[in-house]
Amino acid sequence: MTATTRSAVRFLAPYAVGTLLLVAVPALLTVGYAFTDHTGLSTPRFNGLANLRRLAGDPFFRASLRASMVHVAMAVPLRLLAASGLGLLLAAPRRGGRWYRAAVYLPTVIPDIALALLFLWVLNPLYGPLNQLLGAVGLPQPTWLATTWGARVGVVLMLLFPIGEAFLVVLATRRQVNARLYEAAALDGCSPFGQLRRITLPLLAPVLVLLAVRDLVLTLQVNFVPAYILTDGGPGNATLYLPLYIYDQAFEFLGFGYAATITVVLLAVTVAFIGLQLALVRRWRVLR
Amino acid sequence: MTDADTVTDADTPSARVALEGLGKRYGDVVALDDLTLTVEPGELVVLVGPSGSGKSTALRILAGLEEATSGRVLVAGRDVTRVAPHRRDVAMVFQDYALYPHLTARDNLAFGPRVRREPAAAVTARVERVAVQLGLDGLLDRYPDQLSGGQQQRVALARAMVREPAVFLMDEPLSNLDAQLRLAARAEIVELHRRLGTTTVYVTHDQAEAMTMGDRVAVLADGRLQQVGPPQAVYDAPANRFVAGFIGSPPMNLVAGGGALGGEPGTVVGVRPEDLHPDPTGAVALTVTVVEALGSETVLAGHSGDGSRLTVRTGPRSPCRPGDVVRLAVDSARRHRFDAATGRRLP
Amino acid sequence: MRSGPLARHVVPLLAAIVFVLPLWFMVAGSLRPVGLPPPRGVELLPPAPNLDSYARLPQLIPLFVYLRNSALVVALAVPLTVLVASWAGFGIRLLPPPRRRAAVVASLVVMMVPVTAVWATRFEVFRLAGALDSLVPLVAPALAATTPFYVLIYAWSFGGVSDGQLGAARLEGASTWRLWRAVALPQVKPATLAVAVLAFTFHWANFIDALLYLRRQELYTLPLGMRFLQLLNPTDWPLLMAGAVVVTLPSVAVFLLAQRLFLDDPLRGLRGNAA
Repeated sequence: MTATTRSAVRFLAPYAVGTLLLVAVPALLTVGYAFTDHTGLSTPRFNGLANLRRLAGDPFFRASLRASMVHVAMAVPLRLLAASGLGLLLAAPRRGGRWYRAAVYLPTVIPDIALALLFLWVLNPLYGPLNQLLGAVGLPQPTWLATTWGARVGVVLMLLFPIGEAFLVVLATRRQVNARLYEAAALDGCSPFGQLRRITLPLLAPVLVLLAVRDLVLTLQVNFVPAYILTDGGPGNATLYLPLYIYDQAFEFLGFGYAATITVVLLAVTVAFIGLQLALVRRWRVLR
Repeated sequence: MTDADTVTDADTPSARVALEGLGKRYGDVVALDDLTLTVEPGELVVLVGPSGSGKSTALRILAGLEEATSGRVLVAGRDVTRVAPHRRDVAMVFQDYALYPHLTARDNLAFGPRVRREPAAAVTARVERVAVQLGLDGLLDRYPDQLSGGQQQRVALARAMVREPAVFLMDEPLSNLDAQLRLAARAEIVELHRRLGTTTVYVTHDQAEAMTMGDRVAVLADGRLQQVGPPQAVYDAPANRFVAGFIGSPPMNLVAGGGALGGEPGTVVGVRPEDLHPDPTGAVALTVTVVEALGSETVLAGHSGDGSRLTVRTGPRSPCRPGDVVRLAVDSARRHRFDAATGRRLP
Repeated sequence: MRSGPLARHVVPLLAAIVFVLPLWFMVAGSLRPVGLPPPRGVELLPPAPNLDSYARLPQLIPLFVYLRNSALVVALAVPLTVLVASWAGFGIRLLPPPRRRAAVVASLVVMMVPVTAVWATRFEVFRLAGALDSLVPLVAPALAATTPFYVLIYAWSFGGVSDGQLGAARLEGASTWRLWRAVALPQVKPATLAVAVLAFTFHWANFIDALLYLRRQELYTLPLGMRFLQLLNPTDWPLLMAGAVVVTLPSVAVFLLAQRLFLDDPLRGLRGNAA
């Protein structure tokens, strides 16, 4: 190891130790606890696949898994579409462009709890601004959080606003594309839509895939706060997303072991989704 | 204008290009000022000038990538000033090549024809033909980042050729190559131009490129056309002090009139380094400070008695050393005179 | 290229309005007098807006205790995050290229670990460390740079500091520590600003860690305090919106400092002088 590499390691040490103690070790412990009867208070005892068997017969878990799948299927494409659409739209330099971009990022800095409380109010059937808006344009005014799909859509609606990170990443990546490519394409008669399809999207594909993977992981988790504040998993477990169920098991029912098993399933679901995404990506040859 | 018209235009082997009173302003900055220039069919004209001279702006206006503030652009007699870039029947080679990084060389070449929905079989055949012409046939399945700089440059050239345009536009296509490749590529482009006979407008900041490649060169500075003509004519009779100093390397010696090179006050006298000869009876005494032996020739730099700095080009293996005093004779037939105030050439 | 005013300004303006609307409704909702009947039609501003709800907040909950705790957390966690992230980013910059890539990939993998996987087990780590029921668990993530994303921001920004510069400074006898402090860090001030602002918004808003690891009311931070407020007055909308505004305001204020990120080229902007 050269002297430079040695000092590099010294600079990396606090981060590495912190990540080890706060992410790696806890994550591995979780995998271990998945096969124990740990309550958080007792000494954990190995109980083999008992948790998995319990999982198989747990109707709440099935409801929770379904809620999470439905949520991901709605939220990830919509969030990604919004973030990349806005990112591409606002990438071009224009007068006041900075303010448009800042406005789109704004909801991302609103603390989750405040955004959740706000949407509790926005989605209120009687007082809420959303139904007032819908009423003003003559659309039906649902009771939102009181119905299965109203609650699911409501949570997705709330999570469509904090998309600033992906938005900025798309915007920054678009700025990296050589402007001459678009000029060359224009000389060949490529329309703006053709340029989007033939140049921008293929060039942004690797970043979009990365964002899709990241948003999937994020979306499986960030629904905790809205579910906890807005619906508490209801109505009828329609929004009992996996993180909420894991929280209930671990901290309300002291089932550290069982919660760990569900977490491992969540992890497996995440990995499966990532695998599926990458397989599709390979199929479509967006990456080479 | 329909696509069918463009195709018929493409059948015309080459076109006359006329720039009429082109002007371009960015706010208060004048990038191009009243540029008028005609390029004859089949001609290769080099726009040359230092950076910020407006040469690239002129080319981009000609391509339709930028809009002129004033003036007109005519291609084959047709006013295309307000016509979209792809309807002008021009193809462009960019300084950084602008190859699509996500496409293979083959797909880069076929990009334009595919956008224009030309029949696939014809496109394939044309791509193959052009690739063979440029020696790219073994490289067609590589991506741009798998090609060397010289190969990328040839792919960029090939992409423009596949278009079979009436006019080629080249924006410093060689400036990203190293010196040796640049010389080879220069000859290649000239040869290609001779074979295809397509009207070409070539932009460069390199006066040597301009001298060796152009049928005519157009020298620009500060957004204005300084002089246009065959390279040798421009070299032999620069229209003003700027052109005198810009064309030729090492540059022309320019000394205020009445100084070391003679002439009357109120003028500037210019003599090219090769028109100063060592001569024991010469009028000018040069104190040599730098001796650059280039192998085939030697360049002496130094100053005369009144402090004017002079450069002299002499034969190889010069015996001079720094500190020597050399007497020089001026070839008076090759003395240029410029107005000190306006910079204009005096008869 | 040419584009009409529609694409240039109208559509962006509409998008901007949609994204500012939530904040508007939050503020408007907090100004609504208590006990008013539901509005009829769209109410952009309530009739007779007043600040009563803000005045009622400290009467119902120990607002200033929460504020103090939150301030303490960000005062510790934000500088710590900036320090750890910039060290790590500089460390990555110093690594030879293949290892640099490995470090970046490792950071990306860590970003993919679901937070739920560490909730309960971090609880045990904190219990072992005797740090439960203190503010330590809220500051602790800063030890791991809060998120690898911030490390990557620094790694990218330091990428703009050339080998030549580092070599030149080393020839002058500068230690790597000094390279970080005197050569690299001053060139990437925008990155430091960005990480500081992002870390602030994260730690200021950190609800989950507070919910999981805090028990005593005296330790509650503002986000957890808002949950408490919601449990106390679940339908007092003006009050809840006033609380939401109080939690949101500092984040928005700090965010406005980071506008530079929204210049035309954010990635270049991050690198600051190190182009």
